[in-house]
Amino acid sequence: MQALFNQIRRLTLFEVALLASLLLLAAFLALPIVFIINHAFKPYNELFQFPPTFLVKEPTLSNFYDLFLRSSASIVPFSRYLFNSIIVTSISLFAVIVSCSMAAYVLSKYRFGLKKAVMAMIMLSLMFAPETVAIPRYLIISWLQINNTYFGHILPFIASPVAVFLMKQFVDQIPNELVEAAKVDGASEVRIFLQIVMPLAMPALATIAIITFQSVWSDGQASTLFMQDETMKTLPYYITTLTSGANNTVAGQGMAAAAGLLMFLPNLMIFLFAQKRIMETMVHSGVK
Amino acid sequence: MASVSFRHVFKTYRSEKKPSVNDFNLDIEDGEFLVLVGPSGCGKTTTLRMLSGLEDISDGEIYIGDRFINYVSPKDRDIAMVFQNYALYPNLTIYENMALGLKLRKTAKHEIDMRVKKAARILEITNYLDKKPNQLSGGQKQRVALGRAIVREPKVFLMDEPLSNLDAKLRAQTRAELIRLHQELGTTTVYVTHDQTEAMTMGTRIVVMKDGVIQQADTPQRIYQHPANQFVAGFIGSPAMNFMAGSIKESEGRLYFDNRRVRLRIPESFYAELREAPSMRNVILGIRPEHLVSDSAWLQANDNKVSALIDIKEHMGADTYLYLNFGETSVVARIDNSEDNFQLKSNVEIGFQMEKAHFFDAETGANLRTDSRRGQL
Repeated sequence: MQALFNQIRRLTLFEVALLASLLLLAAFLALPIVFIINHAFKPYNELFQFPPTFLVKEPTLSNFYDLFLRSSASIVPFSRYLFNSIIVTSISLFAVIVSCSMAAYVLSKYRFGLKKAVMAMIMLSLMFAPETVAIPRYLIISWLQINNTYFGHILPFIASPVAVFLMKQFVDQIPNELVEAAKVDGASEVRIFLQIVMPLAMPALATIAIITFQSVWSDGQASTLFMQDETMKTLPYYITTLTSGANNTVAGQGMAAAAGLLMFLPNLMIFLFAQKRIMETMVHSGVK
Repeated sequence: MASVSFRHVFKTYRSEKKPSVNDFNLDIEDGEFLVLVGPSGCGKTTTLRMLSGLEDISDGEIYIGDRFINYVSPKDRDIAMVFQNYALYPNLTIYENMALGLKLRKTAKHEIDMRVKKAARILEITNYLDKKPNQLSGGQKQRVALGRAIVREPKVFLMDEPLSNLDAKLRAQTRAELIRLHQELGTTTVYVTHDQTEAMTMGTRIVVMKDGVIQQADTPQRIYQHPANQFVAGFIGSPAMNFMAGSIKESEGRLYFDNRRVRLRIPESFYAELREAPSMRNVILGIRPEHLVSDSAWLQANDNKVSALIDIKEHMGADTYLYLNFGETSVVARIDNSEDNFQLKSNVEIGFQMEKAHFFDAETGANLRTDSRRGQL
């Protein structure tokens, strides 16, 4: 404590101003997080209070109760959406990590024809938002006849140019000599990849895992466009139906608030867990 | 242990027209410490990488012992390589770093342990075996990299500028250790460097390369005393050999080196070969800084001297380097400190020990003495 006081005392006026403005900015950026946590625990009268309040006065779990128990009386229970989301997210995550790290390693450390063309394709595909390719994606998925399957959710995510790009930038930093030394030592390609390159690329892997998790976990596109069967849809889709659409929008507000928190929590936890590694990757790859 | 043979080896990269390694033809004997030296981009590292198998061979054949290895993968060539940046696996401990090569070859555990510990003892790194590479200093990392090569007990050691990331003092120390290690193990070693001091001190034989072509392959002494061409003469030696352009003139049966500034009498031992030279008009005189003398007794007894202006003086401890100008020519003289009573920007008499001089063809750069061209391939 004493050390902290000493540190504060030594700050210049400019540093104080800088610190204060950064704290203000951080507090402002934290507002939605504070709001979403408080909102989920508000009873009905507080949810619709005007002017709206940030902090909850009489916290209650009734929203969660509604979400889990009441909705199970409907055709598709909440737990089904949650299950779908978990399955889709975990398989996508695994598939993206495997495919992108292998692609990045080859693009970074091997010499082969068409390498430039492949890289150019990846850079090009970085420029498209998912919405712009929704129609071609729909055509491909229906041509493959994988609507209403988990694979229909997963396939669009496996081709992740951002992940390949980030990973390649990171693997580029690993000296070629390391790979060559392992070759001379007698390591096979698989072993070099798994035992030498991957442990060093852990920060990038963590970043990819988070980026992928966030995009898959919060994606409603596949459910909206490719899934006609209600039992194959995921959590984000369910939440949008709570606040708009067929359900009573007033009655759904409490459940929507609770579901919103449930959607947000995994993101928060993963970020807190892997924050340091993400920063490392961003610095290395020059992406901000 | 084994010999190594290169038979007319070429390396041409697809994007380049000129070969990076051009007709490399060399036999390395068993137990030899061969140093490949040359300026950057001369193909020395490419040659080493072709021997290691990390680079394809465009044309020609390479043998380790009697075995033709062009298409053998690096791990099956029975070689060990030491890299400039050490290339230690950062996620493994020092012990695991050294043991990995043996483990992958399915060596018995107790034997791995024995060999790693023995190598660690030789290199005095026993205390670091449990540490990770990033906990070690540059010099220690270099020893671990050497250790990783030693434990494998390969037929050939390949070293790619292993000392260039170390500071000057550590480099000198490690250099001595490498020499000792080679004497102890006697393993055939191919060592790449751009540093001529390393080449001169470590090599049992030196190969000087330029633009992918071997300029001369010979012992350090012969390379120094009998450089095959002007490039080798200028590359090996510090400070570099002095060069002067001029021609050889004959008068009254005597040969003189002559340009507008100096006229130096050539000793008779050179006559026979200089007279056979393709052109006596255009020659380059080369003389090492230590063969320029300022000793007054010598100067009185000899005619081969000029008056020059002292431009810069460098004290090197035992010696002093004098940078001298006469006319448009500048030369460096290396003189004993005891003789140093020279004033900067003053004129001084400087003598040429012509019996130690070299004459090169101005066009081809070849040494005009056939004896010196012997080492050239």
